[in-house]
Amino acid sequence: MSSATINGERKNGGTSRGLRVLVIEDAPADAEIEIAELRRNGFEVYADVVDTADRVRERLARTQYDVILADYNLPNFRGMDALDILRQKNLNIPVILVTGALSSEIAVDCVKQGATDYVLKDHLARLSASVRRALEETRLREERARVQRQLADKVEELARSNTDLEQFAYVASHDLQEPLRMVSAYTQLLAERYRSKLDETADRYIGYAVEGATRMQALLEDLLAFSRVGRNGESRALSDANIAVNEAIKNLTIALKEQGVIVTCTPLPTVPADRFQLVQLFQNLIGNAIKFRGKAIPRITVSAERQGEEWVFSVMDNGIGVAPEHRDLIFKIFQRLHTRTEYPGNGVGLAICKKIVEQHGGRIWVDSELGQGSNFRFTFPAAAADRADKKEQAHELYAQNSAGR
Amino acid sequence: MTTPNEVDILLVEDNPDDLELTLHALRRENLANNVFAVRDGEEALEFLFCTGRFSGRSFDRHPRLVLLDLKLPKLNGLEVLKRVKQDPRTKSVPVVILTSSKEERDLVASYNLGVNSYIQKPVDFDQFRKTVKSAGLYWMVINQRPLSTPAQIAAAAAQP
Repeated sequence: MSSATINGERKNGGTSRGLRVLVIEDAPADAEIEIAELRRNGFEVYADVVDTADRVRERLARTQYDVILADYNLPNFRGMDALDILRQKNLNIPVILVTGALSSEIAVDCVKQGATDYVLKDHLARLSASVRRALEETRLREERARVQRQLADKVEELARSNTDLEQFAYVASHDLQEPLRMVSAYTQLLAERYRSKLDETADRYIGYAVEGATRMQALLEDLLAFSRVGRNGESRALSDANIAVNEAIKNLTIALKEQGVIVTCTPLPTVPADRFQLVQLFQNLIGNAIKFRGKAIPRITVSAERQGEEWVFSVMDNGIGVAPEHRDLIFKIFQRLHTRTEYPGNGVGLAICKKIVEQHGGRIWVDSELGQGSNFRFTFPAAAADRADKKEQAHELYAQNSAGR
Repeated sequence: MTTPNEVDILLVEDNPDDLELTLHALRRENLANNVFAVRDGEEALEFLFCTGRFSGRSFDRHPRLVLLDLKLPKLNGLEVLKRVKQDPRTKSVPVVILTSSKEERDLVASYNLGVNSYIQKPVDFDQFRKTVKSAGLYWMVINQRPLSTPAQIAAAAAQP
């Protein structure tokens, strides 16, 4: 006998009810006993019995089996060959070796090579438990694979939406600015050419139109700057925060001099961060401290202290401060608390700060009272190398910037 | 406009409104006498490589300046820049990108391809005019170019 069907043929990939078993066995009586044993334990068994490699391949091509019971050593087939066939066909069906006599070394070796379990023919009482466990393991493995697939899908989806966003930013930069320039330029040309022929109201309207277009362009630029934070911040090389602050101060020289600002900076650590983003972060915070100054000469102190696995930076000023109810709001994009005539700007600076900090795995917040100055604080993870070093840096104050008086 | 062999400035711009603005700005500075405009990247290459409807042009009389937009139909500005800078017959022609974008990736790509200058068109028209004036004066008046023909320049480069 080379192949026999017990309990009739089933459809390919049949329902989940019932147990589909492929028995690789040359003794029909043994196969019958195995199947009977499973039935006795409540399985509704649909079994096919084969005894050659060709038949195994043939059956596997037609039916989705839940489990394979293979005799360890048949004249024409070795039980372990079933594993090779499954691997070739990329199938994930548990194989239980059912065998007359098997040394424990060989048994362990079979399991190492991928057999799920082995059951001795004179201990067939174990068979049902073994099959149950194999089914459960398969179910768990499939479940795990499903979750992993879902995760991979989500990651891909996220990557796609990031790409879309990037594409949007690019399109905004190119395509939205063009028509804007046309509106602005031709309104200005109109104004120029017909100035004497138009009345004062017309001139004012033209002024508004140009102003609107210019403002929209500034908004687009800011939106782009915001979206760029996500795109260019790949580098996690170590950056010296002292250098970043110096750079930021250099970029703000004019404003610092004009307002007679005094900036004090204590020694800062080196952190895993994108160098340019670190400069931008300090520049936005120091720039804000200058912009939202109070009546007194602006004083800004930049410092950092080690707290566990992270550095907490602080940019403290004596400016107008932030009311408690606005402390979260100020970090939202395009959120402004003042009119443009009071303080210019589009409300993007702090949103960019937040994005930079969060992208590096940190947090940003403000400690402040209205009229009492602000202390903007943010965290960066400590560099792996200096985590071992528990010694805190000495916080010796020194004046970093002589732009003040 | 002028005949293809007397061109000082080749303007590559697909938007008629944008084209007119640039011409307007050049005219004010008396830089528009020898300006020739093409509308897409393919036409720009035909002009610079003296092919197609510009097959009568000579390589010996290249424009002193190419003002190149990035977003162009058919062949974009970067592709035009690449072909111009890769070919010994045209690589000495100054190419200035004139675009609304100041996307870092456009800047990086342009400089990698050997652009001579990159200018973002300002939204404010006065600013735009000043920018075109500065760029025009710089490339037409201040900048010195070799008297040799592009072929002679290329031959000199080929010598050890």
